This record gives sequence, structure tokens and C-alpha cells, in this order.
Amino acid sequence: MFALTVARRYLFSNPAQTALLIAGVALGVTAFVFITALIEGLAIRLTDDVTANSAHISLEPETRVARVLPSPDAELASVAIVSTFQRRQIRSWEPAVALLRSQPSVAAISPQISGSAFLVKGEAVAPVAVTAIDPAYLDAISPISTEITSGNSSLGADGILIGVRLAENLGLSSGQPVLFRTDRGIDRLLTVRGVFRTGLQTLDEKVAYLSLQTARPLFLLPEGLTNIEVKLEDPGRARDVAAFLHEATGLRATPWQEKNASLEGALTAQARTGTLIQMFSLISVLVGIASALSLSANRRRGEIGIMRAFGVSSTFIAAVFVLQGLLIGMVGAGIGCVSGFALCSWLATLTNAEGIMLLPVAPSEGGYVAVFLLTTLGAVLASVIPARSAARLDPLEAIQQ
Amino acid sequence: MNDVLEARAIGMTFRNGDDFTEVLKNVDVTLQPGELAALLGASGSGKSTFLSIAGLLLRPTTGAITIAGQRVDQLSDAERAEFRNTRLGFIFQFHHLLPDFTATENVAFPAAAPAGGITPAMRKRARELLARVGLSDRLDFLVTRLSGGQKQRVAIARALMNKPELILADEPTGSLDRVAAEQVLDLMREVNREDKATFLICTHDEQVAARCTRRITLKDGRVEEAWEEHPVVT
Ligand SMILES: Nc1ncnc2c1ncn2[C@@H]1O[C@H](COP(=O)(O)OP(=O)(O)OP(=O)(O)O)[C@@H](O)[C@H]1O
Ligand SMILES: [Mg+2]
Repeated sequence: MFALTVARRYLFSNPAQTALLIAGVALGVTAFVFITALIEGLAIRLTDDVTANSAHISLEPETRVARVLPSPDAELASVAIVSTFQRRQIRSWEPAVALLRSQPSVAAISPQISGSAFLVKGEAVAPVAVTAIDPAYLDAISPISTEITSGNSSLGADGILIGVRLAENLGLSSGQPVLFRTDRGIDRLLTVRGVFRTGLQTLDEKVAYLSLQTARPLFLLPEGLTNIEVKLEDPGRARDVAAFLHEATGLRATPWQEKNASLEGALTAQARTGTLIQMFSLISVLVGIASALSLSANRRRGEIGIMRAFGVSSTFIAAVFVLQGLLIGMVGAGIGCVSGFALCSWLATLTNAEGIMLLPVAPSEGGYVAVFLLTTLGAVLASVIPARSAARLDPLEAIQQ
Repeated sequence: MNDVLEARAIGMTFRNGDDFTEVLKNVDVTLQPGELAALLGASGSGKSTFLSIAGLLLRPTTGAITIAGQRVDQLSDAERAEFRNTRLGFIFQFHHLLPDFTATENVAFPAAAPAGGITPAMRKRARELLARVGLSDRLDFLVTRLSGGQKQRVAIARALMNKPELILADEPTGSLDRVAAEQVLDLMREVNREDKATFLICTHDEQVAARCTRRITLKDGRVEEAWEEHPVVT
């Protein structure tokens, strides 16, 4: 295409100026990539922090809610009240577990009995949230065995694992017996097999682990479970998978996002801020292109006028300027993507003394395709204004100036 | 045979707000094939204005224009552009070459732009034209490297690229020194003789006018002595 030849020639005609213009575009694109990678990296870090040590989906029995039963006589309505005669439990959990194990999206599961109890030592009483698990899957949801500071993680019969704060509060250490009193009013003497320190206060102060075996008689659940905790390969898919699991099992499936609504809000606000900055960096790029091309069109009035005089179509003239915009946009965006990736990759290597990234950028999440397409498209749109003014130039005026 | 140019009762009034300037009142000009006509007149008499009207760069207020038998004053802008491209050639006082292109590319441009590129045939013709204007040793020079006279000769070659029937020149020697002006004028006369191309040359240089085959003088918005034959001085 001859218009492309002319556009290229125009760009090469003043290499320094073109280089500067492309550098400006590349800089804006780099800023876009950086902010995208940073926002995405922050989201990943926050999500990781939340999802690393907790379940991604919790399966529980459906809550039974009091509801109004429809009546043919509108005046009268009967109300079904929640029955408290039955324990809330997952009675037939094997099919659910089998289903979960067959799902490729599921990374790990932990069938549990959760309940509350008190640990009694002498005069001291401490409430604990009890998580009873299959000892083989102790670490399925959050790593415990690696966090043991004294004793070990083998639960065995009548064993209990407690957090370091709880142990301090009750003056317990591994190997010692402790009286365990469940919310069902059953007492049993258990042995502290290990003490863990996760660094999370609620876990270290309020949670105790038992084996399912030990817990069943204590919570009067000889067969059922109270909940199944699920860890996914991709926490981002928790909502979809939860919806599927609810359909498939009839159990209530709660994705982690619903348990962490404030995190969701924070991520949304952060994403909005990012969008705003992205928009500004794009707009500044486009204004730069539009003004540079307008200047060039103005500088070349004489040439454009003579082209129009010897009958070159206004479409051709417009194409020359739009193509300049396209070339600048594509080359600038390309360079900007590469330098943005390089910058983010470098930033990702910067860590503090504890090995934590100073800026949690995710170099792979720079929005490269989006910024490339947006910049290229935007550059074309930005060049429409100078292209139109060049195409509309009256040849006489331009020649006689 | 058709007249190359037939301008009938051309009137041109410029309007700037409430200000009206009547430049051409009632101009009749007819050019026959092969004529080399000088358009004379005092500064401000409307020579450039008439040339622009004949060259379809400006629409007259009144009157009719026929070029090579075709009524052209009714054409749309795009049609006028195409007509200019294929049938007319322009030479201006200032060469207005494209500084980022070589001499050959500049000459080929009027053919290349509508065709989408410079074909080997175009390149060949452009080189032949450049050779004809005496620039065979400057074919691939960027035009910014050429002298003023050389640039004007490139502009003439460019005007000839699409084999126009009518070539309109506005002060083609106006910015050249005596020697360069002579060369350019000789060149136009040669093209006129050999190609039977018709020229309408605006000038207030008597020496230029003296070498044309015909003089047309504008005065007070009219043609003063349209049909006075003038002997060719060689
Ligand atoms: N766009 C315009 N608006 C108003 N007046 C104009 C316009 N163009 C030309 N004129 C006027 O028309 C008149 C003729 O101008 P033109 O350029 O045709 O003269 P000319 O004969 O070519 O003069 P010169 O020999 O100096 O080149 C001048 O008085 C000029 O001011
Ligand atoms: Mg003039």
C-alpha cells in the first residue's frame, strides 16, 4: 500500500522526533503495564494470604429455615418451623466425598466434625473451636504438622493438638493430659500430643485438632459429619465450583469469598483505582499522538496541498496520517509491553530481609494484550483528528500560504 | 478537434464576511491543442485566480468550464480530484516537492498514489522524464539535495507524469535566476512542441511571455486582448 510507504517515510523523515514520540507512548504503556501488574499482584497476594490457610469452599448441611407454607385460603397460613429434633449433620457423606475426589478442580478435601468445647485444667477453663479431622489429612486445609513447636502431630486415640497461646494460657505442654468437655456435656481426658504455632492468633489461641475417631463419641456423631472443607487448584473458581457442588450434593456450599466480604470490597476498590490510573496513562498517550500528528500535518500543509492539487484523494491523505498513528501506536505499545514486563520482572526480584516482595507485582498479569490493542486502537482514533484536518485541507490555501 | 480549454463567462467574486471582492467579471478563454499561452496582467489582476479555476482547484462564481470536451464545473470534489490527477498538470512558483522522497519518487507520485504503489513501468517513465529535464544523474537524490532550478525541473517532470492534456503553470520561473529560468522555459517549450501538450502560463515576466505562442492579458476582470497572435521568438 502506497499510503503506508508514505506514512513510513514521514515517520523516518525526522527520526529523533519519531523516537521521542514512540518513547512517550512506550512510557505510558509501561506505566499501564506496571499498574496492572501491581494491582493484580496485590490482589493475588491478598487472596493468597486469605486462601493459603483456609478452605476455599465449605460444605455444610442446608440450613433449615422457618417458612410460610402456601395455603389455598389466603387468610390462613401455616408456618413450618425449624425442627430441632434432628442434629444438623451430613449423614451420607461418602457419595459427596467420592464426588469431590473425582473433581480435577479439587486439590484437597477434609471431612470434618466441627464443634465447640472447653479445655479444663485445674481452675482454668478455655473455650476452643474443635476441628476433628482424618489424621492422614491433617494438613489438607492449612499446614499444621510443619508448625508443631513441641511434641508431634500424630493424633492417635485420645490425642489433641492445641495452639501455642492456648497452651500458655492453660500452662499445658505436650505429653500432658487435659480435660475436654464438649458442648454435648461429655467429658474425656485427652493427651496434648503437640503444640503448634501458626502465627495466626485465632488459630493459636482458639483451635484444637482431634481425630475424627476420637471426636465421634464426644460429639455424639457416630456416622455423620458437620462439614467438608475443600481446597481448590484455583481459588478464583470457588464461586463456580461451589455452585456446581451445591447442585450436585444438595449441601450448602460457601465459597471463601463470601466468608471474606471485606476482602472482596477492598479488591474491587483497588481494581477501580487501577482502572482510573490505566485510563489516565492511556489518555495521555493518545493526546500525545494526536498533538504530534497535528503538528506534523500542519508542518506538511504545503506538501499535502500539492498532493491534493495533483489529484491525490483525500482518503489517501487521511490514510497516511491514520497509518502513522497506527505504526506509532503499535511500535510504542510493543516496546512499552516489553519494557513493562522487564520492569515488573525486575521489581519482582526485590525482596526484603524476610524474602517478601517489596512490591507484590505479578509480571505475567500486565494486561499486555489489552494494553497493546487499546493503545493501537486508541492511536488510530487519536490520528483521526489530524488525518481529517489534513484531508480537508484546501489545496489552494496550502499552496499559496 | 475539441478545444483543450473552453472557459465561458467566468466570474469570480470572493467573499469575506460582508466584504465582496470581484476579481473576474466576464472572462472568456479558449485554448487549442498545442498552444503555449501566456496569461499576463498586473499584480492582483486575477491571473492565479483564473488558473485555479481552470485547474479545478477553485469553483467560479459564474460561468462554465469545458476541458477536452467535458463539462467539468459540475463535477463533485472527488471527481475533480480524479480529473486533475489524470488530465491536468500543475507547476507552481514554489516547487512543493515532497522532501522525504527521491526525484524519481516525486515524479512518479501522481501515478503511484491512486494505483497503490510505484510500479516498474511508473519508475521507468519517471526516469525517462527526469532524463528529459536533464536530471538523469540525480534520479535517486532526495529532492532536498537539489538546487532550486533542479527542483523546478523535477516539478515539471512530475506535472508530465500522467500525460496531461493541459498544463497550468503559475509563475514557474518566478523564484529562479535568469539562467535557471531560461532552462525551465526552454523545457516547457520543448515539451509543448514534442508532446503537443497545451500550456497556460501565468507570468508577469515579458521575456517569458515573449516566448509563448499566445498572450492573454487580464485587466479589470476581463480579457483585454484574447486573440492577439504573437510571433514566436527563438
Ligand atoms: N481567497 C480570497 N479571498 C479574497 N480575495 C482574494 C482571494 N484570493 C485572491 N483574492 C484577491 O483576488 C485578486 C487577484 O488575486 P490573484 O492571486 O489572482 O492575482 P494575480 O494576478 O495572480 O497577482 P500576482 O501577479 O501578484 O500573483 C487579489 O486582489 C486578491 O487579493
Ligand atoms: Mg498570482
